[in-house]
Amino acid sequence: MSVLAVIRPHSWDLPLFLHVLGAMVMVGGFVLAITSLGSSARNGQVSRLSFRALVYGALPGFIVMRGAAEWIRSKEFPGSSDNDPAWLGIGYIVADPTLLFLLISMLLIGLGLRRARRDGGGGGGLLKAATVLIALVLVADLVAIWAMTTKPV
Amino acid sequence: MYDWLLFLHVLSAFMLVGTVVVYSAVVLGAPAPARTASVANIFWAVGGLGTLLLGIALAIQVDGYHPWDGWILGAIVLWAGATELGRRAQLALDDPAAGKLAQWHWLRTVFVLALLVVMVWKPGA
Repeated sequence: MSVLAVIRPHSWDLPLFLHVLGAMVMVGGFVLAITSLGSSARNGQVSRLSFRALVYGALPGFIVMRGAAEWIRSKEFPGSSDNDPAWLGIGYIVADPTLLFLLISMLLIGLGLRRARRDGGGGGGLLKAATVLIALVLVADLVAIWAMTTKPV
Repeated sequence: MYDWLLFLHVLSAFMLVGTVVVYSAVVLGAPAPARTASVANIFWAVGGLGTLLLGIALAIQVDGYHPWDGWILGAIVLWAGATELGRRAQLALDDPAAGKLAQWHWLRTVFVLALLVVMVWKPGA
């Protein structure tokens, strides 16, 4: 295992770099969003920061991560996906719901912002729901990082 | 053992980039809630220590690598530069009068990106 780690064709390096960088920016965007959501709830104000963290951080990061994942997959496992290893399957299982949860979180925060602007407050329930979704995504991302690095079977 | 070292090493790197994302938002004009800044600074400290110590442990553990390999020494130099720039960025965030937050942060970002490039391409390995 430890010797295998040294051997990797250099043609995989660029897609791997983009995949990892995209994933890191995406997770950073989620962390920024969830911490600012916590601060908003504590201060009784709805912050735009969490929404922007998802729009300008997590979403572009996801797109780069997901696109580069397909690129490197086409190099590492060309052809049919029938024989994909389990760790790759875990990546797919985490990535696709991540996009769904990301979009729902953006919608919830956006609606919360709108409600706060209209009513001069409120939107707390929507923000709490978004916080839970983002927390779930972060836990799932932890599992994906574990699967991508340890590659179980 | 190798698997856990690699997982925690990569997780530490995610924490470093998480800090970079938070600081980028602040430098670009976003507010910096105390809680968000605290999490970012904790991520930077834990991620920095984790990437260095676990990276050296990996270099010892993996048969084909040695801590004195050129690309690993280069990565350690980049890590040290990023750490110092991160310290200056944190000081500038805590005390805006100190100024140059954007300068230290973007320089730190370049160092972190260079670290990631070295980790993936492993020049000379």
